Amino acid sequence: MKKMSKLLAMLLAVAMICGMLAVSASATDVTLPREETLYFGGQQWGSVNSWNPVGTNQNNSMAIAGNAGGYRSVMFETLFMFDFLTGEKKPLLADSYEWNEDLTAMTVTLKDAAKWSDGTPVTAADVVATWDVGVLTNNNTGAGFKAYIEGIEATGDKTFVITSKLNDAGQPVNPLKVEDFLTGTPIAQAAWITTLCERNDNDPTKILNDAGEDVVWSGPYTKYYTDDQKVVLIRDDNYWGQDESMWGKLPVPKYLAHNIYADNAATELAFKAGEIDVDQQFLGNIQNLWLEDDLPISTFYEEAPYGVCLTMPTAWYNMNIPVIAENPALRKAIAMAVDYDSIIANAMTNQSPSFSDVPRSLMNPTAGEQALYDHEAVADLQWAGNDIEGAKALLDEAGLVDTDGDGYREYNGEKIHLNAVCPNGWSDWQAAMVIVADAGEKIGVEIVTEFPEWDIVQTRFTDPDQTDYAIFMWSPDSASPSMPWGRCNQFLSSQFVGLQNNWSGNWGQYVNEEADKILAEIPLTTDQDKLVELYTELVKIYLTDVPSFSLMYRPSLFHAVNETVWTNFPSADDGRNIPPADCTDGYGIAALYELELVG
Amino acid sequence: MKNTLRNVFHSGKFVAGFVIFMFLLVTIIVYPLINPGSPLEQIGVGTFAKPGTYVSLYDAAKTNPDRERETLRLADADDKRLAKALSDSDRVLMVEWLGLKGVDLEGIDYQDTEALLELWHANYDASFKPKGMTSAAQKKYKRLNDALLDLQTADALSVMSDGEQLSLIRKTDYVNVGTVTNVKFLPLGTDNFGRDVLKELVGATKTSLGVGLVAGIVATLLGLAMGLLSGYVGGIVDDFIMFITNLFTVIPGFILLILISYSISQEFRGPATVAAVIGFTSWPWTARSVRSQVISLRNRDHVNLSKLSGHSMLRIVVTDILPYIASYVVMAFILQVSSGILSEAQLSLLGLGPKTTTTPTLGLMMNWAMMYSAHTNGSWWAYFPVILTITLISFSLNLMNTGLDQVFNPTLRD
Repeated sequence: MKKMSKLLAMLLAVAMICGMLAVSASATDVTLPREETLYFGGQQWGSVNSWNPVGTNQNNSMAIAGNAGGYRSVMFETLFMFDFLTGEKKPLLADSYEWNEDLTAMTVTLKDAAKWSDGTPVTAADVVATWDVGVLTNNNTGAGFKAYIEGIEATGDKTFVITSKLNDAGQPVNPLKVEDFLTGTPIAQAAWITTLCERNDNDPTKILNDAGEDVVWSGPYTKYYTDDQKVVLIRDDNYWGQDESMWGKLPVPKYLAHNIYADNAATELAFKAGEIDVDQQFLGNIQNLWLEDDLPISTFYEEAPYGVCLTMPTAWYNMNIPVIAENPALRKAIAMAVDYDSIIANAMTNQSPSFSDVPRSLMNPTAGEQALYDHEAVADLQWAGNDIEGAKALLDEAGLVDTDGDGYREYNGEKIHLNAVCPNGWSDWQAAMVIVADAGEKIGVEIVTEFPEWDIVQTRFTDPDQTDYAIFMWSPDSASPSMPWGRCNQFLSSQFVGLQNNWSGNWGQYVNEEADKILAEIPLTTDQDKLVELYTELVKIYLTDVPSFSLMYRPSLFHAVNETVWTNFPSADDGRNIPPADCTDGYGIAALYELELVG
Repeated sequence: MKNTLRNVFHSGKFVAGFVIFMFLLVTIIVYPLINPGSPLEQIGVGTFAKPGTYVSLYDAAKTNPDRERETLRLADADDKRLAKALSDSDRVLMVEWLGLKGVDLEGIDYQDTEALLELWHANYDASFKPKGMTSAAQKKYKRLNDALLDLQTADALSVMSDGEQLSLIRKTDYVNVGTVTNVKFLPLGTDNFGRDVLKELVGATKTSLGVGLVAGIVATLLGLAMGLLSGYVGGIVDDFIMFITNLFTVIPGFILLILISYSISQEFRGPATVAAVIGFTSWPWTARSVRSQVISLRNRDHVNLSKLSGHSMLRIVVTDILPYIASYVVMAFILQVSSGILSEAQLSLLGLGPKTTTTPTLGLMMNWAMMYSAHTNGSWWAYFPVILTITLISFSLNLMNTGLDQVFNPTLRD
């Protein structure tokens, strides 16, 4: 009997082990050769929804993603590739473009060699169909450009004309945004769009949600395998770009893969272990990875700020709240009291230039944008932060004083009480908000931090009528051909005021007619001196009225690489001028063609 | 009473726990007197400064060369400088690089520093990158070269101010730490916000003890009241109270705690609120045990005698029942305090603790340390002392509890 039970226990144990092995085996259906696979991190969260380039909500950041550094053109290609290092538009599907005299029409010529995955050539009809379906469904292309583009017309097999939308005075609304179309819109095949529309009865909602499994692509990679644990793209060896008129070769890695991790911490561990080659996530004190841990990890620049800072995460004031809207002095005082050096050192671990190095304006730290305003004219409006006494004096002068002796200032007899909000778990932003609250404490303005979950935050701050968040954090866009105008527009334009579900700009609902006028004038101005004058005027308005204040400069894409398997990634001093855009975005994709295996 | 106390203090376990607890208590009272100021003050710009003594470089450089500096000719000073810039593994790296460059390494003695350095400086080329060499490696060689160049710098550094030379600092110049005006001792370094960890830890321990105390009082009072009522009155009241108690026992307390904390907006979630919430979710076990003891007491002779004498229920409970379970209640209270502190730490770790900017708590310290990956980047001082403190608190409280148990529980008596 005893023997029997022993045997039984052993059998049970064996059965359990077999069961576990079976489960773990089925979880990894596809094994990729490490020397042919480039692993990414920090881009894909959750499983893929669709492969439809004209749809929305694809959650497919490996194949379909509009990024600040340029569109991700591994599977679907844009007409031009944006290079944020130089501001250039490099030819991809198209060869060249030309404006007419008054910027009302742009003629674009497509590359002869450009072909779809089914072997048919890329033609002007494809661009027209992409535009038309965009207008029909109001997808990102339609919604993003219909205010600026009147229409697109084919004038030949390989040429087409984009017509600018005109304002009441007969001038183009914004030629800069028309140029954004060239680098920001993935082109889909006309024949496939027709199939897509037919099977969805031309119903915009159905078209946007079509999974697009049968999609035709033009890029060097296509879908290979996806489940809830990974996304894998495989190289298309018939890719047209092997033609001498484009790259002249195929990209090096056969597979692009992205394992889906639970959070930043899990991704970081995998990156350190060499399981990820290219990591797009913020890593605090990244220099310790090579200085102390001696890992083969590097960034674009060897010294801080390690990446190319293109954007400024910003604290926005909610103008729906009376005490904020009625007191520019309060807005400026808080902004002056904040210890930015501490934010940059703590939250960004110095991966940002300081506001003493790059004084605050509407511009990012790149030389091109910095040259666009008169630094001396606004010098006495700028502040570098941690100016407690100055802030206190400003508040006293404005009559915002502590009358009941509780240590906090009152406005109209009521204690000023504000909250500072950002999503829970966004640790660097949370730290920044804590430091803002700390500044409030020092100047006698009560500010409490609040960190709701992202699901809640995203519905609240995009609501034009919300009064729940007094100070909240969000980033304006970082780089595209229409910058810095686009960013200025996001900071100051009343065009976004009252917009429901607002993801576009001016989240604080600030209105200034003077700024609106200048914003309308800039896109039509070609004279450089006049441009500087207009931008300087905008910076003056921004620094006087303080509708928001930037907390740090920040790369739009983090780009850290682990050279355990692959090497020859772009680096600032290698003379190649490939932007650090994760080897996939805009002209950053050029890196994929030059990778080498280690050893 | 005196006898009981004597018995209690004869228990080694209790005394050990009591000493540890008193040590913590004295520290949180005395330390702020020695090192006053807000525990949340951000003194460091930057994250995770290592524990140690920080000497103001400015003040050290401005010391008077004649009166405040001494010349010490230490034989091993140069060797130490060399070892810092050029470790053995660096030597291996140098030789590897020279090999890659195709330099003839025949007859080279790696330990012959001068020869090695000469060879290195003659051959090093920052732009040299053979196929397959990673840029991480290339950058590493560049850093090594920079460190070696640094070694070659002059024997003296000059201190300049507005273009005027204030003094020279020679390799043999030393100052006594005592003469430097500003020296800061950070026994536990700084955290991710640049706060003095020890100072913050002391403040946090105070808050956490307070939270534990309030949570313990709430839970014990509630549990005691429920248990007494249910055990003494019996009948429908007993059924009803036990129904509620059982409900609370089957729902995992911590999940309930998370849900309640989550539903209170952060603005109202101060330490006192969190303490109350913890107290309100952790009373059922106390209630159950008190009830069972009361049931066994309620039919004793002295209780029946009081009943016959016409004493009120309140008086019977207070004079005839409470004294018999008092020792148990005290022990339960100690455990409640301990678990209250742990609960706060757990909640804060999940980001559901008291609001963040005004008071430090042990859980919040761990929460921020975790968010800044202190556990993976080697900044042990940001979280380990916190864990140790939590462990010490609950260890000391549990020791006291076991000690009391041995004194009061006849079956456990030695």
